[in-house]
Amino acid sequence: MIRVPRWGANPAIFLLPLTLFLAAVLLLPILQVIVQSFETENGGPFAGYAKAFTSPLLLNVLANTIEIGLTSTVVILLIGYPIAYHLSRLSPRKRTLCMVFVLLPFWTSILVKSYAFAVILGHDGIINFLLRLVASQDASIKLLYNRAGAIIGLTHFLLPFMILPILSNLLLQPPELRKAAFVMGAGRMEIFWRITFPLSLSGVVSGLIICLVLSLGMFVIPALLGGRKDMMFANMIDFYVRETLNWNMAAVLSIILLVISSMLIAALLRVRGTGGLVSGGEL
Amino acid sequence: MDDENRIGWTTRLAAWFGYCFLVLPSIVVIPISFGDSTELTFPPKNISLFLYKKFFMDPSWTDPAVQSLIVASFTTAFALALGTTAAYGLVRGNFPGKTIVTVAFLSPMVIPSIVIALALYLYFSALQIQGSTLGLVLGHTIISTPFVVVSAMSGLRNIDPTYERAATVMGAGRAYIFYHVTLPLLRPAIIGGGLFAFLISFDEVVLSWFVSSARTMTLPVKMYSSIRWEISPVLAAVSSLLTALSIVVCLVVAFVQKKE
Repeated sequence: MIRVPRWGANPAIFLLPLTLFLAAVLLLPILQVIVQSFETENGGPFAGYAKAFTSPLLLNVLANTIEIGLTSTVVILLIGYPIAYHLSRLSPRKRTLCMVFVLLPFWTSILVKSYAFAVILGHDGIINFLLRLVASQDASIKLLYNRAGAIIGLTHFLLPFMILPILSNLLLQPPELRKAAFVMGAGRMEIFWRITFPLSLSGVVSGLIICLVLSLGMFVIPALLGGRKDMMFANMIDFYVRETLNWNMAAVLSIILLVISSMLIAALLRVRGTGGLVSGGEL
Repeated sequence: MDDENRIGWTTRLAAWFGYCFLVLPSIVVIPISFGDSTELTFPPKNISLFLYKKFFMDPSWTDPAVQSLIVASFTTAFALALGTTAAYGLVRGNFPGKTIVTVAFLSPMVIPSIVIALALYLYFSALQIQGSTLGLVLGHTIISTPFVVVSAMSGLRNIDPTYERAATVMGAGRAYIFYHVTLPLLRPAIIGGGLFAFLISFDEVVLSWFVSSARTMTLPVKMYSSIRWEISPVLAAVSSLLTALSIVVCLVVAFVQKKE
């Protein structure tokens, strides 16, 4: 008798190892964080959350995080869309070459990038060096350890995450649409604004959401390239753990961040379907 | 080129400005790393391997580097074992709730790493393994495995299922098929996923910052502290080495995938 395995019936043996692993090392710890967020010194279990939404310092950090995140995301869109568009209109061979420009920073360590920007943006760095060539010897522009530094660093880090979803969308657009419009007399600009761009909006929205989610959790870049006034959410969590050993507040902030990120990801899955996680810019 | 697909010069200019912005940081550190002064000068005055020597002779740099290699190697092994099997179950299986399970397996990619870092810090403290290499490996495995899953799933979809069916008809059991038929066919995806897992672990900073101790510090943690407190030019040498590692990994992956 030929024995055919019934795949549908029992793939469990293959799924079990990772399931057990994640349950033990990810799920349990996160549940512990949730519990910790309610373990306050005094004021009842919700004191931590109350403080998160009323303390001026934390509201300031929240405002910073949103401001930096939104500003960076807009700049990223302005720089990233032309790149994605350019890539989409290249021949496949040239595109592979130019993709190296996008993938190299994607796979470069965030610390290398931060160090490089510290060199480029610093008081005696490349930008000021060039500035002094054209202006006076004392000229200098402060682009490091302030909001500008944080935004520049963040923009650079997140650019590939905006480019990839838009590019994948543009590549999927049927070229016949543009051909038809051209044949009917539309100019290039008209074709772009009335056909290409509207169709690309789902890619744009995916990119915006991904960049926003990632910028909310940013830790290294604001710490290394921003100033004291540019602390973001993640830096605050680090502060509570390292400086004040206040595990409760750290947990509270973590859960708030987790909830906001999850809502944004849920919105992203709506826009793209679950394929969005896999093809929306990760690999 | 067809007229409706022609790229205007403004777009071209904007795109090339973008490309320069993208690669500039990765490239800028390389010339600096060949300088010979202990201060940050660009362009460097003399060419030498002074900074590289400084790196390799200094245990406070080489110890974390070795630690990173160890952690990344174990992480890659675990990520491949857990991720490839999980991907196989997801692609070949057909069961209700498959989407939820897939999202759950890929969730570490979308949970902010600071959240995972804090969660593991509290958890490992309770388990008294906080600051250990074991903790580091577990944490890195969590974030690397989803990439292996994605890579393996995409590889599995490209494999002709006829091979597995033929083996089944000849009487092989499921585990045997997985090990002797599927895995060899998956080799490019495994190599790709494994190398990416290695690179992700090697470069991971937020998780390591929370979960390591002074004794088990990884290279990124050492770099992070170093950039915060004193921008030493040795960092340029370290950065160049890391960039070279990234380039090598990408090239190997591209080469392996092109061969198949």
